Amino acid sequence: MMSKNASFKQTRWRALFAASLLPILNACSQSYVVLLADEDGSLGKVSVTNNQGSTVLEKNLEGADLSGSAGQVYAVSQARIQQDFGSALASSPQKPLSYYLYFEGGSTQLTPESAADVPKIIAEIKRRPVPDISVVGHTDTVGDEKLNAALSLQRAEAIATLFTETLPDTDKISIESHGEKNLLIATPDNTDEPKNRRVEVTVR
Amino acid sequence: MIRKLAIPLALCANALFATAQADQTIIGFVKIVEGEATITSAATSVAAKPGASLYLGNVLKTGKDGSLGITFKDNTVMSFGPDTEVTVDEYLYAPANGELKLVARLAKGTLHYISGVIAKLKPEAVSVKTPTGVIGVRGTRFLVKTEGE
Repeated sequence: MMSKNASFKQTRWRALFAASLLPILNACSQSYVVLLADEDGSLGKVSVTNNQGSTVLEKNLEGADLSGSAGQVYAVSQARIQQDFGSALASSPQKPLSYYLYFEGGSTQLTPESAADVPKIIAEIKRRPVPDISVVGHTDTVGDEKLNAALSLQRAEAIATLFTETLPDTDKISIESHGEKNLLIATPDNTDEPKNRRVEVTVR
Repeated sequence: MIRKLAIPLALCANALFATAQADQTIIGFVKIVEGEATITSAATSVAAKPGASLYLGNVLKTGKDGSLGITFKDNTVMSFGPDTEVTVDEYLYAPANGELKLVARLAKGTLHYISGVIAKLKPEAVSVKTPTGVIGVRGTRFLVKTEGE
């Protein structure tokens, strides 16, 4: 049987323990959002909305709580970011990289400059541990829209075959075709525009 | 009697087929795995491995020492720290048809997010839900920590 004294000690110890833990728990248990500048320095915006209202974060390292009072914005220290998000940040995959390859008019023949870029893309695919790519074909507005849809698919397929040796798993290559619907340079119909005759290859 | 049953059964089979078809579209890939991490779809749960495909509705979980990095078809990049649970509720990426949507749910844990083409073309179509609030994404990069319920 426990003596009165021991029981009192235990209760007091518990109270002390709880009191000392409380501030730590409060500091760690927060649900919050932090806006970060991109690696290239560019900065976006995020909005944070809960049942109390809405806030927009616009500055680098600016944070807001998800629970409790929305609208209050505060600076978040690098030390806190490292403590809370170090592991998530360390597991961030390499950012996807996109390349444009350009074609001779009305054909699936790459321009000499673009043909010379193909080895760079292959090197980037090989540099990544588990790569996947997308290949998206486009045309300019010369000629019939339907024929251009077919041509842009042929371009994408022709380019995709350049990477099948490096990336044999067909699941890892996705092929799309936008025809003349998604111009890089806006032009009227029936306009010869070399910049629009392209395939966009994205390496992830 | 048999005839009466046949029609609803056929309809059910169609519905099942449609669902299975819709789930077959790959929406992204696992790129980095540290420690314990799993991908759950419907009733099955498998260990997450680098290179694994991701599908709509997948639940991604990390253990106590786990972390996970993924990329989506639209170049959205997400990575998660330990003790995290994320579900991809909605994902539509057909820019040629203007079909764009990304809704992820962070039940608990930590998330590092870098936006891709969907947020660039249609910012209002992207959101990250947490148990206590919703994050609207108008560009690039942020961190979220949530305690869950």
